[in-house]
Amino acid sequence: MSEHASILKHPLRIRMFHYFLVLSFIPLAATGVALFLKPFDEHDMNLLMRVHVAAGAILTLDAVAFFVLALDRVVLFTKRAFTFGMNDVKWFAVLGGYPQKFLLRKKVPVPPMGKYNSGQKLFGACILVGGILLIGTGLSLWLFPHVLPHVLARTFGDIHLIVGLFLTLFLLVHIFLGIYMFDDFKAMFLHGRIPYDEAAEVAPLWVQGEIVSITERT
Amino acid sequence: MSTEPYQYIEDPLNVSRREFLTISGALIALTALPAAVVRRMAVKRNDYIRARATGLYQDDTNAKIRVSHANQGVMRLYQDFLGAPLGAVSEELLHTRYIDRNRALA
Repeated sequence: MSEHASILKHPLRIRMFHYFLVLSFIPLAATGVALFLKPFDEHDMNLLMRVHVAAGAILTLDAVAFFVLALDRVVLFTKRAFTFGMNDVKWFAVLGGYPQKFLLRKKVPVPPMGKYNSGQKLFGACILVGGILLIGTGLSLWLFPHVLPHVLARTFGDIHLIVGLFLTLFLLVHIFLGIYMFDDFKAMFLHGRIPYDEAAEVAPLWVQGEIVSITERT
Repeated sequence: MSTEPYQYIEDPLNVSRREFLTISGALIALTALPAAVVRRMAVKRNDYIRARATGLYQDDTNAKIRVSHANQGVMRLYQDFLGAPLGAVSEELLHTRYIDRNRALA
């Protein structure tokens, strides 16, 4: 094995999808929290609402475009996010070894993981379901609130608020751990590649079972 | 020799045909079925509102008195108590003033 061998972990269309997610979801989260707390006057709150709607439109277009143009990746992601086993239970029992690493500077053994560890799979499942709920309720409340029955409009508003706040909190964890795993951060934001040795250490099941050499493939 | 900057990729045949059809079908159902249910609820509500509006317009068409100023009770109220419309007594009792409550709410 070459020392500098690398794996294409995030192809370009995935990175493009993620760029637009970052550009839209962070303003959505920030304006959403501000719309909930209402700390500003009427003019500024109206401006925040317009920003929220614009960012929501970008997120919706991004999600729909990715679903249509990269359905194979959506299916693969869904399969990975919703596949759980005993290894995942054991991973959650030690919380992936992160608290011990940060607080006690100790490295604890974690069960072997695939491309996504158990925490990432949980986040992925929440984002998938939560994202669909946010887009569906958000579009309904923006485009045709007057057509919906009042109780349904109220329920959509509550769902949008609760799911939005939950995903915003989860996003903070995702951002922190995403930057902490710096090789993966560079892979997602820059070139899409991670070192083979790094992947073999953190995702051995993925490397053993799902990776092929490009020379073998051709 | 490959010119790509990476040497390994994910196996593209990681998902079987059956898994692909199952998962993509489930995702489409997860989005399309709730949309269909919500649409049906909205159409049902709007049919009800349209039916009520049609009934009200029909009542209006069939009514003998169709303007408020022809209402005998209102005419008697003004005659016996309020005086003229927009007069001092009717202005005092029936009209309100605008109060800016935005600061109090903020």
